[in-house]
Amino acid sequence: MKKIIALLTASMLALTACNAPATQTTSDRAATESNNVLKFYNWGEYIGEDVISRFEDEYNAKVICEYYDSNEMMYTKLQAGDKYDVLIPSDYMIERLLNEDMLQPINKDEIPNMSNLTDSVKNLSYDSDNTYSVPFFQGSVGIVYNKTKISPEEIKNQGWEILRNEKYKDDIYMYDSERDAFMIALKALGYSMNTDNEKEIDAAYQWLLEQKERVNPVYVTDEVIDSMANGLKSMGVVYSGDAAYVLRENPDMAYFAPDEGTNLWSDAMVIPKNAENPELANKFINFMLEDESALDNTLTVGYTTSNKNVYEQVTADGGDFCDNEAYVIRTDNKKDEVFHDNEVIRAKLSELLIKVKA
Amino acid sequence: MKSFKLMTIPYIIWSIIMIILPMVMILFYAFITKGNSVRQFIFTFDNFLKFFSDPVFFDVLKRSVYIALITTLFCIILGYPVAYIIARAKPKTSAILVLLVTLPTWINMLVRTYAWRSILQENGIAVALLTLMGIKNVKLIETEFAVILGMVYNFIPFMILQIYNSLSKLDENYLTAAADLGANRVQTFLRITLPLSVPGIVSGITLVFLPAVSSFFIPKLLGGGQFVMIGNVIENQFLTAGNWSFGSAISLIMAILIIISMYITRRLDAKITGDGGDDK
Repeated sequence: MKKIIALLTASMLALTACNAPATQTTSDRAATESNNVLKFYNWGEYIGEDVISRFEDEYNAKVICEYYDSNEMMYTKLQAGDKYDVLIPSDYMIERLLNEDMLQPINKDEIPNMSNLTDSVKNLSYDSDNTYSVPFFQGSVGIVYNKTKISPEEIKNQGWEILRNEKYKDDIYMYDSERDAFMIALKALGYSMNTDNEKEIDAAYQWLLEQKERVNPVYVTDEVIDSMANGLKSMGVVYSGDAAYVLRENPDMAYFAPDEGTNLWSDAMVIPKNAENPELANKFINFMLEDESALDNTLTVGYTTSNKNVYEQVTADGGDFCDNEAYVIRTDNKKDEVFHDNEVIRAKLSELLIKVKA
Repeated sequence: MKSFKLMTIPYIIWSIIMIILPMVMILFYAFITKGNSVRQFIFTFDNFLKFFSDPVFFDVLKRSVYIALITTLFCIILGYPVAYIIARAKPKTSAILVLLVTLPTWINMLVRTYAWRSILQENGIAVALLTLMGIKNVKLIETEFAVILGMVYNFIPFMILQIYNSLSKLDENYLTAAADLGANRVQTFLRITLPLSVPGIVSGITLVFLPAVSSFFIPKLLGGGQFVMIGNVIENQFLTAGNWSFGSAISLIMAILIIISMYITRRLDAKITGDGGDDK
């Protein structure tokens, strides 16, 4: 559902180019005169409501927004030669873009707000000193479960294996992507999610086949968000940012990332090599790190902010994400991993997953 | 005459680009595999061997055909009476009825299928109604029932319109003659109306069976991601697995299957109507 709405709004917003029609004419003219245009390519529903218009006013600029719903879609457009000034890809995609020399370094002098970043999102392995990327949102993958049906102890003791507990037959949502499904199986078996070992992959495949046999899980993608918010099933695999939303909507729901480890991911702002307005892009990135923008972003989207002041504010007593365990990203589990893309393995897992489902 | 022939050229070019070329590419991809840097691709039958040697894919194919057959059957059973009523109605009424049948198709199929999702889901209106009627704990969404329901709902207008078309062309004099010769209404229907509407049923079958057997978003939305039909496998091969060759091979197998089924329905048509199988 979310995807469809995102697509619809995306196409509508693309027409109005992120701008309220009333204010468009004046700033439009000023912007085109000074050639102050920023092309921003972002996930659907992934930015605060007023951030773009405030930026346009403050910098007398015009922002043209486009939206994607997967890293791969963004990559394909970039490959086709489309020019953008700012993108927000995920960690593994930044790694790939860097390997293919498609990004340019950010200008840290222009981005004093880098000092607002939370320590745990800085200097991650895909860009070890943040030369090319500025973290935006971060999160993990875990299980949203109904506290009235499953006790926190039960899920803590069983970990990922609870997704194969016959007690919850027909009562489980799995996430329909090879990366997440195999991450769960590999972690449950104690392997790395980035393995290329045939035996381990085969064991994970068997794990998923057995799971299907035992509990008959339903494989969904974004439908899981509304379904869990409505309490349709006892548990489901959800990204932490979406889980934070579910928890806000439905007080019966709780979030748990099993101790066997999970996938920690982050999305960061980058400037492609062929950007036409890198100067404005740096200003925009700096603007996104301001407290006011970061607050708007995290409250609208529900994903965990990279801004430490805002993080403290919203998780403090009385804050919007106070006691919301999905919002707090753990950093102390050694078994948690960052995903690394491997095209050959991904194709293989994709085919194995459709065989699991069939 | 010559000048008219020239006018078909744009159409021919358009057909080549939009119809022939994609088919040639599917054919090409189906028989190749990625090669090395010297030979970009290698000719092979592996893609087909893979499909038939793995029971998983064959089971998916069987399931797809089964679901499509059931869907077609229900479309005929439910659609025929509707088409009959429309064809028998006064011209003004039948125009309104035809409008009502086509009305839902004005709305995007995907949106309508999403609507069914919320109707059928655990807290949806359908389950609530059944509970009121005393039928408790039924599971509707993510079942075979939901998928077939969604397909019948989406494709039945095509069946109704085709049958209606052939019924409305029926010459009333045949019916009068039949009555005159002493046939009762059932006999008239079985021996006059039904055989003469077979061409409509046949083209209805084509219009329902083909999209049903290759459908991928109806099973995905109403059956859940684990309700895999052959269209989902093809989608997976192209979009996530990135194996265009295997995807093309499955598409080709589907195309052959569809040609065979069209041939069978045409033969049936020819047998029943006895006019050589030409259903215009």
